[in-house]
Amino acid sequence: MEAGGDVFRALADPTRRAVLDSLFDRDGQTLNELCQKFPEMTRFGVMKHLAVLAEANLVITARHGRTKRHYLNPVPIEQVANRWISRYAARFTSALVALDKQVSADEETETRRAESA
Amino acid sequence: MSLPAHVYQIYIAATPKQVWAAITEAEWTRRYFHTVAFVEPPQQGRPYLTVGVDGRPAVDGIIEEMLPPEEGRPGRFVQTWHTRYDPDLAHEPASRVEWTVENAGKGLTRVRLVHGNLEQSPLTWENVKDGWVWILNSMKTLLETGQPLPRVSEDEILSPADRS
Repeated sequence: MEAGGDVFRALADPTRRAVLDSLFDRDGQTLNELCQKFPEMTRFGVMKHLAVLAEANLVITARHGRTKRHYLNPVPIEQVANRWISRYAARFTSALVALDKQVSADEETETRRAESA
Repeated sequence: MSLPAHVYQIYIAATPKQVWAAITEAEWTRRYFHTVAFVEPPQQGRPYLTVGVDGRPAVDGIIEEMLPPEEGRPGRFVQTWHTRYDPDLAHEPASRVEWTVENAGKGLTRVRLVHGNLEQSPLTWENVKDGWVWILNSMKTLLETGQPLPRVSEDEILSPADRS
């Protein structure tokens, strides 16, 4: 339900990532539409994957009359990114930025040296 | 709910009434919604306008439904959504934003946000789709910790490593 283990578990499977990609391309698909996108899978298989994605709050279902549609919910992905990825990426990014600054400063010094020579 | 629509859902460790206040009361929205707040308290069937901290119009429309959450009944807040903060978006017709606030266990509330009626408003959709993720996370953070998410900026991304 919250961002965490179930989100990573849901995202660990390539078919489930493909289902999310499919909903990203076209949100609000029915089970039938999704089954057509994955002809190698049984209807039951697709339903099982959708259940795992729903458990992780990554897919939300909504009824429109008699039709049940599936929607991609990006919120947990952002939460996982905030909690797990940005804090590690921040060091890496800042190291790269620092490196870039250092290189630019060195280049400037080189240019000045070349000019004064 | 008409198509195409986009749906967001978040769980917040707060009561449905607290979340309802965070959605409908200016003192709350100002703290997590890019400083935007209702000029007048919203009322069902009435037009509304929200403005930023600088007083410039942000969004206007009609409150189509306003039903606070009660024991055993989810809250519903439905507003048409006509963007005013950007002249290009202001040309597009109003879309519709539907909030559903539902008890999901003791001290836990499920918030579902549906942004629909976007057929004629592609620029609005492009503009708000990532924004809603941030707004919902910011609202959750404010309700759970008393502090909204800090504004995203390059300095803040760099600061943890700079401090070490």
